[in-house]
Amino acid sequence: MITAVVVDDHPVVVAGVRAWCALADPPITVLDSGPTVATAWVGPGAGADVVVLDLQLDLSGPAYGDLKRLVDAGRRVVVSTMRDDQETALTCLDIGAFSYLTKAESESHLVAAIHAAAANRPYTPPALAGALGADTNPHRPRLSEQEINVLREWFHCESKKGVADALNIKVSTVNTYLTRVRAKYAGVGRDAPTKAALVARALQDGLVRIDEL
Amino acid sequence: MGSAERELLRTGIRYSLGVRMVVVLVSTLAPLILESAPVPAAMVVAAAGVNAWSAWYAYRFARRGRWLVPADVAVLGAVCLSQVWTVPAREPPAGVTWIIGVAGITVIAYAWQLSLAGHAAATVIVMAAYLTGAAIADPHGWLEVAPVQLWLVIEAALSRALYLLVRHGARSADAAVARGERARRDAAVAEARRDDEREYLAALHDTASATLLMVASGVPCGHWLAEQAARDLEVVNGRYRTASGDVDLVAHLREVARSIPLTVRWDAPDPVIVPAVEAATLAHGVREALTNVVRHAGVGEAVISLCRNEDTVTVEVADQGAGFDPLHVKGHRYGVTRSIVERMARAGGRAEVISRPGHGTRVRLVRTLIAPDAGGADVETISTNVFQALRWSVLAMNLIILYGLDLPRLLSSKENYRPLWAQLVTLGTLTGVSLVVAGYLWRRRPLGVVRWPLVAAVFAASILGTVSVPGGLRLGFAHWSEGDAAWTIVLVLLDSRFAVLVGLLAAQYLMIFALSGAAAIALADVVNATVIVLGYQVSVGIVAAALRPVAVTAAASAHQQEMLRTARAVADLVHRDRAARCAELAGTTAPLLAGLAGGTADPGEPAVRRACAVEAARLRRLFATDPDDPLSHELRACVELAERNGIAVQFAERGVKPDVPDAVRRALTGPALAALATAASTARLTVIGSPEAVTVSVVADAPVEFVAPFSSPEVDMSTRVDGDRVWIKATWRPA
Repeated sequence: MITAVVVDDHPVVVAGVRAWCALADPPITVLDSGPTVATAWVGPGAGADVVVLDLQLDLSGPAYGDLKRLVDAGRRVVVSTMRDDQETALTCLDIGAFSYLTKAESESHLVAAIHAAAANRPYTPPALAGALGADTNPHRPRLSEQEINVLREWFHCESKKGVADALNIKVSTVNTYLTRVRAKYAGVGRDAPTKAALVARALQDGLVRIDEL
Repeated sequence: MGSAERELLRTGIRYSLGVRMVVVLVSTLAPLILESAPVPAAMVVAAAGVNAWSAWYAYRFARRGRWLVPADVAVLGAVCLSQVWTVPAREPPAGVTWIIGVAGITVIAYAWQLSLAGHAAATVIVMAAYLTGAAIADPHGWLEVAPVQLWLVIEAALSRALYLLVRHGARSADAAVARGERARRDAAVAEARRDDEREYLAALHDTASATLLMVASGVPCGHWLAEQAARDLEVVNGRYRTASGDVDLVAHLREVARSIPLTVRWDAPDPVIVPAVEAATLAHGVREALTNVVRHAGVGEAVISLCRNEDTVTVEVADQGAGFDPLHVKGHRYGVTRSIVERMARAGGRAEVISRPGHGTRVRLVRTLIAPDAGGADVETISTNVFQALRWSVLAMNLIILYGLDLPRLLSSKENYRPLWAQLVTLGTLTGVSLVVAGYLWRRRPLGVVRWPLVAAVFAASILGTVSVPGGLRLGFAHWSEGDAAWTIVLVLLDSRFAVLVGLLAAQYLMIFALSGAAAIALADVVNATVIVLGYQVSVGIVAAALRPVAVTAAASAHQQEMLRTARAVADLVHRDRAARCAELAGTTAPLLAGLAGGTADPGEPAVRRACAVEAARLRRLFATDPDDPLSHELRACVELAERNGIAVQFAERGVKPDVPDAVRRALTGPALAALATAASTARLTVIGSPEAVTVSVVADAPVEFVAPFSSPEVDMSTRVDGDRVWIKATWRPA
């Protein structure tokens, strides 16, 4: 059984996440929820497989510090935020979040992201794909042209079938490309146990070879 | 030629003619009263003749011009040649005669009247005639004093130099004013263009945009639609403001009130004539105010009162309706505040909305009809520049006189002075004072109170220079400082009031005369010598005093021309802007409105309504102006409109966009605009920018036939349909 803890100060959001998780297949048990990150450290939430973290808990800016501490403790974090911008997405990824999604895409992508995180697999929703596809940081991993195309088309149309049609590839190939990109990103920047686990899983799944990283 | 230069030359001619007339009169009166000429009748005839002629010359010169100059030179030459009858003989020869006074002021004044060549030729002819006349009158003595008389040529040259320097000052003032004008004009033109654009957008918002949105939202349309669409079409085609001419405001406003379903009572005089531009502005405000009465006041009656003062016209629209709290009107929207208050402010007027819940509403529009004053800064620029030039030239003249004329006089009489060092101290003091003034001039600082110690120093030097000349030689050739020390006073007091300058000059001369006692020369000669020098000095003072009025006139005329040029530039550019804006809507919005106006487009048909939605969105996109990121801003405007219609829109941007040219931007946002305007329930709008490409993508449940037909040579479009969803990507790759 997959368990999760929801750190969010907005009761409506928490209620929504609980509802989606209850309907998920396989189901996800929300062990606890609360407005501060303490919920993920003590009480029932401390043992959850996945932490759903709202990045904006107060007026002091994005909670990168909380994210970092959770990641360093080996927790698998899915960031869910109102901050729909490139820099936030890339920063969360570099710190070691398993996934980053905007609140607008939670309904369609949060469950999938939690499932993937529980299995040490990455999940790349469109908002994050757009950020990766438009990343011009000199230290970014080297991506193939087709990988970039997949990221961008996924960002634009939010439909894997649409991406597959547009690029003349299979939907499974779209998923493979997205995972490979994430594995490549996990291999650069800050070291984090979650990133290592993600890379290990990708190698194990045969989605990426060690010389590609 | 700039206005300062033109005005300076005009004034220069006038003053030079006037000063000459006065100095000639004074020069001729002294010998007539004080002594008798060899042939008194000839003296009287010559004096009367030369005065009459100089008056006639002054009167005619400005009107008939330069053909008088040869005659003037001939008259003067004749007078010079008449010395044998008109100038009393002296033993030893005096050198200064009334005729040299007349000739001197004439060649000095010529600097302002003649070209350089003409001035030189006239000076040489007059000088030659004078020397010839002197030689005839006194064949033995004339050569002795000729060198002193040749100084006349130097004076002419100095006058010319002063003229050139001051003219140069006026020219650089004109250049400075023109630079200021260019900057102001550019700003005014830019402001006018922005204004016109805002005016256009506001007009579009109130007309075409409102009509299209209404049709799109399915409001049942009556017979008014065709009329309204026809009026809207006029606005779209750029005819939204009358051009020029005067109109009767009352009639204009009655016309406006007729189209509003209200009983309007009038409190207005007959007729109130105002420029059409003002009438249009006021009519617009009144229409808006009356519309608000219909919409919000809940009464069927309004009162319009008009009041015209000398320079303002006030229109008030009052009702006894519901009223509202002006402080709690939502900003941000076009409404009473933005439409009336802002538009009036833009047009240079004022609007007040006075209202209280339950106590009716009064909208007062006030328009000022006179133009603001000419810029005072230009007056300063012109007078400072020209004045600076004048002071430099007086400084140079003073030093030339001190060292070109006075030093030789001093040296040739050096054994006469008691003691000689006193004379050298006098010369040194005058030089020192001049250099102090030069220092202030160089740093472009006013003399301020420093002038008074300087004047005192000149007076002291002047006294020293007088008492060290032995009694019998005073006021004579050896007494060089007698008249010329006053040049330093002119230099120091040039920016004082004219009366102060003349008063202190007179004091200086009287003091010297009092100190001198027994003179070396006859009284008449003293008068002659004084008139020659003092006349010149006073003329310089007059030039200085006249500069400010010259600057004021010049600045006013520059301002007038500036207004004309600005108006022309505004008209040109605004016309071009309007044409460009019309072209932008000519392809789609205009035909649709024409269809609605002509009845060929049925507002009940879904396709027509969707087309109206798209065109309304296109207009909404025009209203979105943000210089920083216009692409994003335009898209957000479309998103806002769609969300207001209940469409769920996801909008996300990634990457960094390069600058996108206007036409490309319109092409990039075109499909998004149409998709958002015609979507049934949801839309996803995304933008990815990079230096190599900008992509705007939209996925929506919209009819493909509205979304697809956008094309542009610079932008690649790709369209995919999947069930009821259409996905369009527009990509631009900068060359």
